[in-house]
Amino acid sequence: MHTYLCSAALVAVLAAPAFAADFKFAVTTDPQTMDPHAVNSAPVLGFLNNVYEGLVRRGKDMSIEPSLAASWEPIGNGEGWRFNLRRGVTFHDGAEFNADDVIFSYERASHEAADVRSWFAPVSSVVKVDDFTVDIMTSAPNPIFPDSIANWMMMDSGWAEANGAARPDKESGNYATLNANGTGTFRITAREPDLRTVLEPFGGWWDTAEHNITRAELTPIQNSATAMSALISGDVDFINPVPIQDITRLQQNPDVNVIQGVEARVIMLGFDQQAGAAESGQGASDLFLDARAREAVAKAVNVPAILQTIMRGNAAVASQLVSPAMRGFSEAVTPYAHDPEGARALIEEAGIAGSTVNFKCPNNRYLNDESVCQAVTSMLAQVGLEPVLNAMPVQNYWPELRADNFDMYLLGWSPGTLDAEHPIRFLGSTPNGEKKLGSWNFGGYSNARVDELLPRIQSEIDDGKRQKMLDEVATIISDEVAYVPMYVQPLVWGARSNIALTQRPDNFFILRWVTVN
Amino acid sequence: MTDVTETPAPTRLRRILDSDLFYAFRTSPVALISALVTMFLILSAVFAPLIATTNPFDPASLNLMNGFTPPMEPNAFTGENFLLGTDDQGRDVFSTILYGMRISLFVGVTAVVFAMVLGIVLGLLAGYFGGWTDTIIMRAADVQLTFPSILVAMLIFGIAKGITPIEYRDQMAIWVLILAIGLSDWVQFARVVRGATMVEKGKDYVAAAHLIGRPSFAIMIRHILPNVLSPVLVIATISLALAIIAEATLSFLGIGAPPTQPSLGTLIRIGQQFLFSGEWWILFFPACTLLALALSVNLLGDWLRDALNPRLK
Repeated sequence: MHTYLCSAALVAVLAAPAFAADFKFAVTTDPQTMDPHAVNSAPVLGFLNNVYEGLVRRGKDMSIEPSLAASWEPIGNGEGWRFNLRRGVTFHDGAEFNADDVIFSYERASHEAADVRSWFAPVSSVVKVDDFTVDIMTSAPNPIFPDSIANWMMMDSGWAEANGAARPDKESGNYATLNANGTGTFRITAREPDLRTVLEPFGGWWDTAEHNITRAELTPIQNSATAMSALISGDVDFINPVPIQDITRLQQNPDVNVIQGVEARVIMLGFDQQAGAAESGQGASDLFLDARAREAVAKAVNVPAILQTIMRGNAAVASQLVSPAMRGFSEAVTPYAHDPEGARALIEEAGIAGSTVNFKCPNNRYLNDESVCQAVTSMLAQVGLEPVLNAMPVQNYWPELRADNFDMYLLGWSPGTLDAEHPIRFLGSTPNGEKKLGSWNFGGYSNARVDELLPRIQSEIDDGKRQKMLDEVATIISDEVAYVPMYVQPLVWGARSNIALTQRPDNFFILRWVTVN
Repeated sequence: MTDVTETPAPTRLRRILDSDLFYAFRTSPVALISALVTMFLILSAVFAPLIATTNPFDPASLNLMNGFTPPMEPNAFTGENFLLGTDDQGRDVFSTILYGMRISLFVGVTAVVFAMVLGIVLGLLAGYFGGWTDTIIMRAADVQLTFPSILVAMLIFGIAKGITPIEYRDQMAIWVLILAIGLSDWVQFARVVRGATMVEKGKDYVAAAHLIGRPSFAIMIRHILPNVLSPVLVIATISLALAIIAEATLSFLGIGAPPTQPSLGTLIRIGQQFLFSGEWWILFFPACTLLALALSVNLLGDWLRDALNPRLK
C-alpha cells in the first residue's frame, strides 16, 4: 500500500509540469538587449513587448488600442496630443506608474544614446499636466502620432536612476541591458544572453490575462535544422522562423502547425554613399557615390531567381521600401528589371569594372540571409564587379554598419507604424542627429527634395495629397537607386498543435495571446 | 681460394622493395586498399582544377537557377545535368567536394606539420636537458591533455578570431584554423619524442659525440633526432586523420572555413540545413568523402604502427 501511494505521488509529480502551462519557444536571433530604448530592431522590440508596455499598443489586427494611456485626444488645431494615463498600474518591482515615468521615458528614448530617437522627430516637447495627464506637443500637426509610438515603452524613472541606467547604452550596455522592470504581462526571472531567458506572468498586471502560461522560456537556436528537430521532438513548443525549405515537410506532420503570413518587412540592399566614408580596405571606397554603380547592382540582381530557389516561391518581389500591405504604398514605382547586359554596360561606362565591393551581410537575422547574400555576390561577380562577402551575426553586424565599414549591405525594414512614411524617416532622410532623422540610413543617402517632403507628409491630413507626396518620394528613391528593394519577407512560424497563438504581420510574437491546450 | 660471388650493390629502389616494411605492406590487404583510396583522394584533390567541371570558388561561374538540382537529373529550369547534384547556390556538388577536399587536406597536413615541428622541438629539449626545462614543458603538456583537443582548438580559434579585424577574418580563417588545430595537437609528439630522447641520450654514441665536443644543438638534431623519428611518423599519420576530422568539426560548427571557400566540414554544415527537406545529396556526398578520407588515412596509420612495432611480429 505504501509503495502504491509512493508511486501515485511520483506520477503526480511527473504529471504536474504538463498541467502547469510551461511554454518553450526558440528564435534565431536572441534579443541583443533587455533595454527597450537601446536597439530599434524587431527581435528586441518584439520580445520586450511582453515585458514593457507603451502608452498605446497594437491589437491582434495591428489596430491601435489603449494601453498605459486609457484615452487620448488631439490638442487644439494639431499642436499635439493629450494622453490620459491609466491609474493603478504598477511596475514589476511594485513602483507606481505615473506622468513622471512618461517624461523620463521620453527623455531616455529621445536621448542621443538611444537608437529609437527617430520616433520622436516630430515631437517638440512633452509636458506633465498632472500626475496622470501628459501633453505631447508636435512641431507640426501629426495625425498619425499615436500610431507611431506603440513600441515606445515606459520605464520606471526611480528604478532606472537607482541602477545607473538613466540613459541607454547600445554598445557596452548597463544594468537595463540585462534586467527589466516594465508594467507588462510578463516579468523576466532569468536572463542569460544567447542561452536562455525565462519569463513568468506578472501577478499585478492591470489587464485581464488571456494566456494560460505559468512559465515561458526563450532559447535562441541559430541552426535552422536544430530548431526544426527541437520542434518536431517537442523540446520546444514554438519556433520562429521555420526554415523555408522545411515548410512542406512540417505541414505533413500532425503534431505541428505551420502558421504563414506576409511580413511587413522588405529586404533590400543598401550602399555607402558618403564620400570617403567607406573602408573597403582595397581602395574601392566611394564606388557607389556614382548612381550608375547602384543602378548596375539593381539590374544585376536577379530577384525572381532568388525567390524561386532560395525562398522556394514563398516571397514576393518588392518595388519600394514598403510592402503593398502598408498604408501609403506607392503605385508609381515598379521593381527593377533583371538586365545583366545593361548592368555590365553601366559598369563599363562608370569605369568600375573589377572594383572590389565590400559586401556586409548578417547571418542570423533574416530568413536565409547568408544564402541570399551569397547569391547576390555571384550575380555581381557575373557582371564584372568583385564583391567580397563578409557574413556575421547581428551582434557584430550593426556595429559594423554604424562604423561605416561597408560598400554595400543587406537590410530588412519593417515599418513599426505600418506606414510608408516610416522608412523615409529612418532610411530616406539625410542623417541628422539633432532632428532625430535618418538614424538607420547607414549609407548616408541624401536628397534635398526628400528631406523637404518628409515633414509635409507627416503633417498632411488629406490622404490624396499625402499619397501624391509619398509617390514623389518613392519615385526619387527608386530613380536614384538609394536602395535596391528585393522582396517582402514571408512570415513562417511553427508551433506544436496544442498551442493557440496569434501571428501579427510585424513578426512580433506576443505571449499574452498564447494558450497551451 | 674461396669463391667470392660479386653481389652488385642493391639500388635504393631494390632496398625499399626488399625491406620488411614493404613486405608487410604488400601482404596486408587493409594497407593496400587504404593506401590506394588515400592516394586516389589526394590526387583528385591536387588535380581538382583539371577534374572538376566548374570552379565553385569563382562566384561569377554560378547560376542560381541551378540550385537544388538532384544528382543525375536535369535541372527543371536550365536543363543542366550534374553528376552529384547542386547545392543551394547552384554549385556543382562534385566540383565543390574536390575543392573542399583541397582545403581539408591542406589544413590537415599543414596543421600536423606545424604540430610535429613544435612537438619535436619541445620534446627534444625536454628529454635532452631534463630538469626545469623538462618540468615546465611537460607539465604544460599535461595541463593541455586534460582538455579535449577540440575544445583547445575552439579556444585558440576564438581568441585568434577576436584579435583579427573583421575585414580579414575570412581570409585569415584557414590560417587560424591551422594554428588552432596545430597547437591543440603538439602534445603527443612532444611526449613520444621526449621519451625516446631520454632513452637515446644515455647511449654510447651520444656520449662519444659529447666527448669530441659537439654542441648540444647538433647532438639533438644530427644524432638523436634520426633515431626517434619512426614513432613520430606513425603519430603523424594518425594525427593527420584526426586533424582532418578536427577541421571538419570546427567548420561544421561554423567556426572554420568560410562558406565562400568551403571545406568538407563546411559543406556538411551547409547540407545539414537541407536534410529535412529531402535534398540529401548536399550532405551525403561530402560526408561520404570525409568518411573515406579519414578512414583510409587512419587505417594506414594503424597499419604503419603495427608494422614498425617489433613486439607485434
